[in-house]
Amino acid sequence: MAVHRIDAPGDPGLQPERTALAWGRTSLAIAVNALLSLRAGLVLGEGSLIAVGALLFAAAGATVAVAAVRRRQLSGAILTITPPRWALPGVAAATVLATLAGIASVLVEGGSG
Amino acid sequence: MRRPSWQEEGQDPDYRFTLANERTFLAWIRTALALLAGGVLLHQFATGLQPRLALVVIAVGLGVVAAALSVIAYTRWRSTEIAMRHGRPLPYGWALPVLAATTLLTAAVLTIVLLVS
Repeated sequence: MAVHRIDAPGDPGLQPERTALAWGRTSLAIAVNALLSLRAGLVLGEGSLIAVGALLFAAAGATVAVAAVRRRQLSGAILTITPPRWALPGVAAATVLATLAGIASVLVEGGSG
Repeated sequence: MRRPSWQEEGQDPDYRFTLANERTFLAWIRTALALLAGGVLLHQFATGLQPRLALVVIAVGLGVVAAALSVIAYTRWRSTEIAMRHGRPLPYGWALPVLAATTLLTAAVLTIVLLVS
């Protein structure tokens, strides 16, 4: 069995709870960047930036879902320590996508203005 | 679901270390997203600042660093996880010097821009 599961230890450092909360905060940070991409797309009339903004909102929603999954995995009598397989690469990929959109929004305006 | 093969190696570390590593990854991701948002916000809203080229350079630079940090965040999480499974020393990375240098450079350039314009 590769997935790491343990009996809930009653951790006074509340590490399971903090880990679930960290996912929630991260989803908010992605949502902020989704909003910025959407705004840049609307201001510049650039459809691709609007599309990426929508995609980033979806990623923020997916991160909320991961946060909910983690909250369930990390509460109760048995804790699942191993994170969902695609969660970490996925959130890193969403961040790279956000950086591409951000750089594009700056360069598009720089080129036309 | 099949796990990546490195998660079969060695021994499961103390669960607190695994969770701390996961939170560190997320903290780096949020740092990258914050740098990116800072650059884009500066470019979108600080429209009165001159020279405009400096703001474009800052915004693009912050975006590039954010992209690098998000990739480093993942590779660092993975290599730390593997090191802990084998009881090896944790690897050092480029993330902290890169972040410190970026912050210093951004602050310096912004200070000059604010003084000049």
